[in-house]
Amino acid sequence: MGTQVKDVVIKSDAPSALLLDKHADYIAAYGSKKDDYEYTLSEYLRMSGIYWGLTVMDLMGQLTRMNQQEISDFIKSCQHDCGGVSASIGHDPHVLYTLSAVQILSLYDNVNVLDVDKVVEYVRGLQQEDGSFAGDKWGEIDTRFSFCAVATLALLGRLDAINVDKAVEFVLSCMNFDGGFGCRPGSESHAGQIYCCTGFLSIAGQLHQVNADLLGWWLCERQLPSGGLNGRPEKLPDVCYSWWVLASLKIIGRIHWIDKSKLRSFILACQDEETGGFADRPGDMVDPFHTLFGVAGLSLLGEGQIKDVNPVLCMPEDVLERLGLHPDLLS
Amino acid sequence: MAETENEVEVLVQRVVKDINNAFKRNPNIDEIGLIPCPEVRYNRSPIVLVENKLGVESWCVKYLLPYVHNKLLLYRQRKQWLDREALVDITCTLLLLNPDFTTAWNVRRWILQQVLRECSSPGPDRKEQGDGDRHDAAEKTRLSEHLHRVLHEEMKVCADAAGRYPSNYNAWSHRIWVLQNMAPGNLKVLHDELSSMRQWVSMHVSDHSGFHYRQFLLKALVRELSQSLSSSSSPQHYHPQPSSNPSHSPHKANPHHQANGEATAAGPCPSPPSPEDLALVPALPQLFHQEVELCTDLIKSFPGHETLWCHRRHVFYLWHHWRRDHHYGQGFGSESPQPNHTDAGLSSHPHTACPGGVGLDRVQRRNGQAQEGQDAMEVDGVGVPDPRDTKRLKRGPPGPCPPALPSEHSFVASVLDSCRSPEQGRFALAYRKWLDSVIGQ
Repeated sequence: MGTQVKDVVIKSDAPSALLLDKHADYIAAYGSKKDDYEYTLSEYLRMSGIYWGLTVMDLMGQLTRMNQQEISDFIKSCQHDCGGVSASIGHDPHVLYTLSAVQILSLYDNVNVLDVDKVVEYVRGLQQEDGSFAGDKWGEIDTRFSFCAVATLALLGRLDAINVDKAVEFVLSCMNFDGGFGCRPGSESHAGQIYCCTGFLSIAGQLHQVNADLLGWWLCERQLPSGGLNGRPEKLPDVCYSWWVLASLKIIGRIHWIDKSKLRSFILACQDEETGGFADRPGDMVDPFHTLFGVAGLSLLGEGQIKDVNPVLCMPEDVLERLGLHPDLLS
Repeated sequence: MAETENEVEVLVQRVVKDINNAFKRNPNIDEIGLIPCPEVRYNRSPIVLVENKLGVESWCVKYLLPYVHNKLLLYRQRKQWLDREALVDITCTLLLLNPDFTTAWNVRRWILQQVLRECSSPGPDRKEQGDGDRHDAAEKTRLSEHLHRVLHEEMKVCADAAGRYPSNYNAWSHRIWVLQNMAPGNLKVLHDELSSMRQWVSMHVSDHSGFHYRQFLLKALVRELSQSLSSSSSPQHYHPQPSSNPSHSPHKANPHHQANGEATAAGPCPSPPSPEDLALVPALPQLFHQEVELCTDLIKSFPGHETLWCHRRHVFYLWHHWRRDHHYGQGFGSESPQPNHTDAGLSSHPHTACPGGVGLDRVQRRNGQAQEGQDAMEVDGVGVPDPRDTKRLKRGPPGPCPPALPSEHSFVASVLDSCRSPEQGRFALAYRKWLDSVIGQ
């Protein structure tokens, strides 16, 4: 008598080689059919979708296949009077898409497509009295938005625009007994939130406040027998957690606590040999989101064919080098 | 096929109306599911109600989701007016189909903040005495009853969503937000929630979010009960300190913000708990003992569930630190002097006579009572007999009160001795390692 632990079983014929060319072709062709049903359904996050696609192309050395002019024009038309950027034309601005826009333009070394001062104003205006950040004028509070805020400002070299100490105070108030972080004080630890909070603390120069051993332990307990990582106990593995968990471990200097080769096998098994791209788990439908995080995860594991990725900002290291940005990492 | 915008509008409004009517016709609906049906049939309602099961034909879903999302967008862009009830209905419908849908939860929190503001805004100038005072009291009662209803409605929505999507982070974190903002420091609500959740978590032993909710409730109860201990022993001098807890930190309105204003600051002030409220809630050692017992039962009945072991870590951690902070005695049973929160003391509490056995039965009964008033739990089949009751009797009366390190190590040893599941062994060993590394320092 025993229970089946929630996990996947990797079939023997699952992909085991890295198919970078297929992934580049998949991304290059994605979105070319603008009336495709799934494409229209995801319009509400289009700006982030573009960031995922461009970043993975850059990591694979294929950024030039994307249409820089079209994308820059699109971003420009998404900046609102308040300074914030929306996911697509006609949508509301939000800090999530403001960060994605700044990340995209940083890849192209062209942030001045936007009115940078207004972006800074918008982000500053989202900070609350307790140091937290709202996502937009409607006021949802979440530590993800703290990360988006400081990441945006760091890329623009304008971190001084907000009250960093208060922001740190709020994020630390979301630290739980297990060393992890949730979306708000008292919320459950979640790998995605942990990535945002450790990334935040890195940018804010406050990584010493993390209990690295405790959090590292929680994070490596995310690894399942299949080698894949989940985001919380008793959830299925998902390739995007190869990013959230792995990047967090890298930031706190505990990446060696993971079984790297088992994780690598899992990530490779999530590829689709026919269409290119990565899915959340072996055999499922692919999408650009999981494609980026599969490739980025492999980069963190030391895959030679992929550029080095920065674990805090999920952007190629050479881009950050150019910007002179070196967020802290624990050793 | 090219549907006109109007056709879609008509269809979707009909779907929303049909779903609402179905619930009104049968409030006991306990299951909602998609009926695979790819063929579009405009002239027939895609909503099917058979006894307590609501079916939504799959062909309409691809119209419904973008439509409702778009309506929310238009409302937020101020391009279209939507009354609050329609918003509540629409978010309900969205959550039925997509219980994890973040925007819908956000909109509900925005509405609740408005409700809170209305309930705590100062009344009109009261210059008249007499009648004016009676008006105040009546108005206060009306508002507090209104808040109470809204609170329970929201708990129900959370419970429904939690039942339809395993480990629903958004539903449970919304639930926590509601308690933090609408009933801060409210002992009765906290304890009622803890009791009523017992059955639910026992039927959802993989649901990490559900167990985390219990951890949140326990932590909040510890905070409130500890404060009543450290103040005067008489209940009249109870002074809750909400601001010491970061979850109560006020989100003051930023000039750029309308919505996320004084949610907590304007929230209902926790009134000092009545002696009746305090007597209803067991003393802290008892609460911890009950929680560990629940955890032990579930670990033994459902081997190999990481969630249950995580829960144990959290509960033990809370207990260990509370004991340390309050210089609580090492060995204790009912005979040692115990700090308690009523002058009546524990001796009047049935729990203390036999800490384990009687207490648990009482909790089970109380649990039953809580459920009668709450339709939400029906989703989980209340009528199912609890096999753990007989198991408990077979084991004999449980050991002494709340856990200590040695008893936890014995527990691990006993699990390792008797378990046949490799996963259970793995989790037991991990727990022991955690005890040594984290607690043992």
